[in-house]
Amino acid sequence: MNRNKRRRRLQEWLISLPTLFWLALFIVVPTLLVFAIAFRPANPYGGIGPGWTLDTIRGLWNPGYLVIAWRTVWISFVTTALCILLALPTGYFIARAPEKWRNRLLMLVIVPFWTSFLVRVFAWKSLLHPEGLIKKTLEAIGLAGSQATLLYHPAAVVLVMVYTFLPFTILPIYAAAEKFDFRLIEAARDLGARPLQAFRKVFLPGIRRGLLTAVLVVFIPALGSYIIPDLVGGPASEMLGNKIAQRVFVDRNLPHAAALSAVLILAVLAPLIAVLILQRKKGKADIIIGEAP
Amino acid sequence: MKKSRFPLGVTVLVLIFFYLPIIILVINSFNAARFSSSWQGFTLDWYARLFHSPEIWLSVRNTLIIALGSTAVSLVLGTAAAFALHRYAGSRLQQAHYTLIYTPLVVPEILMGISLLMAFVAAGTGLGLFTIFLAHVTFCVSYVAMVVLARLQDFDFQLIEAAQDLGASWWQSTRKVLLPLLLPGLAAGGLLAFTLSVDDFVITFFVAGPGSTTLPLRIYSMIKYGNPPMINALSTLLLAVTLTAVIASQRLARLKR
Amino acid sequence: MKKPAIPESRSPSLGAGLSLLLLLLTLVFAGGCGPSRPVLSVYTWADYFKPELLKRFERENGCRVVIDTFESNEAMYAKLKAGAAGYDILTPTSYMVSVMFDQDMLLRLDRGRLPNISHVDPEFLKITIDKAMDHSVPYMLVNSGIAYLEGRVKDVRPTWNMFDRTDLKARMTMFNDMRESIGAALKSLGYSINTVDEKELLEAEAVLLRWKKNLAKFDNEQYKFGLASGEFLLVHAWNGDVFQVRKENPDVRFFIPEEGTIISCDDLVIPKSARQPGLAHALINFLHDPKVAAENSNFIYYLCPNKDAYPLLNAEIRQNPGIFMAPAIMARSEIIANIGGANALYIKVWDRVKGGN
Repeated sequence: MNRNKRRRRLQEWLISLPTLFWLALFIVVPTLLVFAIAFRPANPYGGIGPGWTLDTIRGLWNPGYLVIAWRTVWISFVTTALCILLALPTGYFIARAPEKWRNRLLMLVIVPFWTSFLVRVFAWKSLLHPEGLIKKTLEAIGLAGSQATLLYHPAAVVLVMVYTFLPFTILPIYAAAEKFDFRLIEAARDLGARPLQAFRKVFLPGIRRGLLTAVLVVFIPALGSYIIPDLVGGPASEMLGNKIAQRVFVDRNLPHAAALSAVLILAVLAPLIAVLILQRKKGKADIIIGEAP
Repeated sequence: MKKSRFPLGVTVLVLIFFYLPIIILVINSFNAARFSSSWQGFTLDWYARLFHSPEIWLSVRNTLIIALGSTAVSLVLGTAAAFALHRYAGSRLQQAHYTLIYTPLVVPEILMGISLLMAFVAAGTGLGLFTIFLAHVTFCVSYVAMVVLARLQDFDFQLIEAAQDLGASWWQSTRKVLLPLLLPGLAAGGLLAFTLSVDDFVITFFVAGPGSTTLPLRIYSMIKYGNPPMINALSTLLLAVTLTAVIASQRLARLKR
Repeated sequence: MKKPAIPESRSPSLGAGLSLLLLLLTLVFAGGCGPSRPVLSVYTWADYFKPELLKRFERENGCRVVIDTFESNEAMYAKLKAGAAGYDILTPTSYMVSVMFDQDMLLRLDRGRLPNISHVDPEFLKITIDKAMDHSVPYMLVNSGIAYLEGRVKDVRPTWNMFDRTDLKARMTMFNDMRESIGAALKSLGYSINTVDEKELLEAEAVLLRWKKNLAKFDNEQYKFGLASGEFLLVHAWNGDVFQVRKENPDVRFFIPEEGTIISCDDLVIPKSARQPGLAHALINFLHDPKVAAENSNFIYYLCPNKDAYPLLNAEIRQNPGIFMAPAIMARSEIIANIGGANALYIKVWDRVKGGN
């Protein structure tokens, strides 16, 4: 028995080794490196200076960064909220649709995401152009002056972010809704619950896992987004990702970029760890995977 | 029980929301106007210019080389990982393994990009096609592993036992029973990895070097330096290519049945 | 953009995958066939070479020229420091050239291979840093200024303070370039753009924060098409860019503010990590052939300080006050200098301008 066990152990290690090694080399080590570089000084000509220091970390305590950090969290939060609000009725509808419609609807939801991400952001840039279709329409009905612009504003950033993340919110909610027993809602209605009550107290808890996946799948990437604020955001819409990119590509201040990234890593880990603790408490595994694809 | 019209209404609005920019984009790719605010006649000029643009062909070539390479490698690594995760599920090693594989799926791309850049800078490797390839494999592996794992979880291992009871060796049962049934999962994983690699921007942006411009990087450059009509044309082409691939595969899948 | 795993039932099957694969492999190898010519890799500003001239160079030298663009000197420098080796020619602004020279990043030029540099304007060499053209050869002179759309902007005055105009709110841009934008603010206050006086810099910061409220964004690349397409109405611009884009929209106008402006000279340099130094030298020499220099300037609307090219320039360039400045404004304008360690002061100001609300 022991020899079999050992052989099994050996086989397990052998087959796991390639990915363990690859990911350790290209994820674990670089992440540790980022934390390490955050403790080094910057060399004024771009580059990492010698020795260790807390100055870089102290440099984070800048009121400007707090503004950006708050803005990043706020924009991500609003985006997530809007996505969930739109995805819930949509996922519900698709899950209740007849079988042959379901696949078609899902296809319709997924196809836009088969286009390049950059292209979709660019499409919005064109649509929101001051001489573009939407603005001209708004002007015609008197909602906008000719000098106004729809771009370069946090609202534009939220709009494009919702556009980008909505498909990923619809899918997990749909997946959970599909497995949900809708007779429970009928039962609740029979017992006298109003539609909204039934929705809130029966449906939402029933698709809890899908809901959680949907929230994570928007909120976390949103925290790190930088292309969208870069292309459609203005100076008042700068997010943490933009600052990190600026430090790397323009200021060439790697330690500072590393320090900001470390902050972002911690900000991203926080919700994940919260979810892990929740799941451990409830004893459920796989809550983060959501529904198995 | 009266069914509320509300979910239907929202779904329709959402779909219009999704397709409006894309439709306008496609229409404008045929618009002769330089700055698409008004329609100035039908033209294929922008498409012609695309075909005569060497930088775009170069970036397409780079993109394909990297995508094919990283798909191949991540398929091998990802499948092995899926096997480990399934076969030895529950062990401490696999729990750690799973967390490691899961990480790229949840981490914002900018973090992966910057950490890889710092690693390459610290190691002194020059940035170029190879570093992009390494980065792409790193995130593709996770997706492949998840897709294949799901397929494995649905797989009935009794089939293998039956084959072995009938006298097949381990290798034979793998080759003739397991792999054929696993193939759709592998194809799905491979295709997913390929798509992700072709469309990746942020991570590639961080680790690219001179002459290793990929299509997304070229598109970003085109967006920044103007010439909107050519981008419209390029996007329409990309959309047409992906749509054709999807429709063709659906047809083929239906034929197979 | 990360995507979660697509449910398998909705993903294409094996047959489609294989046929796609086959198609792609053909594309890849078809594209790669044919004898490979050496590649000259140029890292430069956007729209900075007349394409026909580069094609001519490719034919005459049996090579291919590949252009990558950067949006600011700092971005170019950052990319190089991050290990992007393999560029053969760069066109940084002279203040950045001196930084790179101090950092030992540049190749010493072999003057034997550059006979045409005898045409470089000696008057200009008097005011450059690398007078002997030891590691850099001047390429183009760039004047910053303000461009706007005639008819859309009322009451235009030739001053940097146009950025104070609240009626143009969110329809204006300034450069995403530390030295240029802080320089514009400094000039509007009457200070030198190369000052290291902290008090003056803080005043400039206040001005920039005030202007920022009226800006759509800080931008170096999209502003010219943005202006031509009507997305922006008034932008901080480089003269050549503006005249290039005037061909798309004739309503575009340019002026150099009366307080004086920033003059940059972009130089041709060869980094030490260049893979084709011979071809690089050949390109530098080619660009200073007076006929080539004139043809280039006539197209990109920047001025090449090549004295034998001046007579060959089009009249519209020679008479253009945006390119050949009026003496009074010229006297108040300055060239960006390398300010060494004081750069840190500018970075702090710029940070606060970009980060603050």
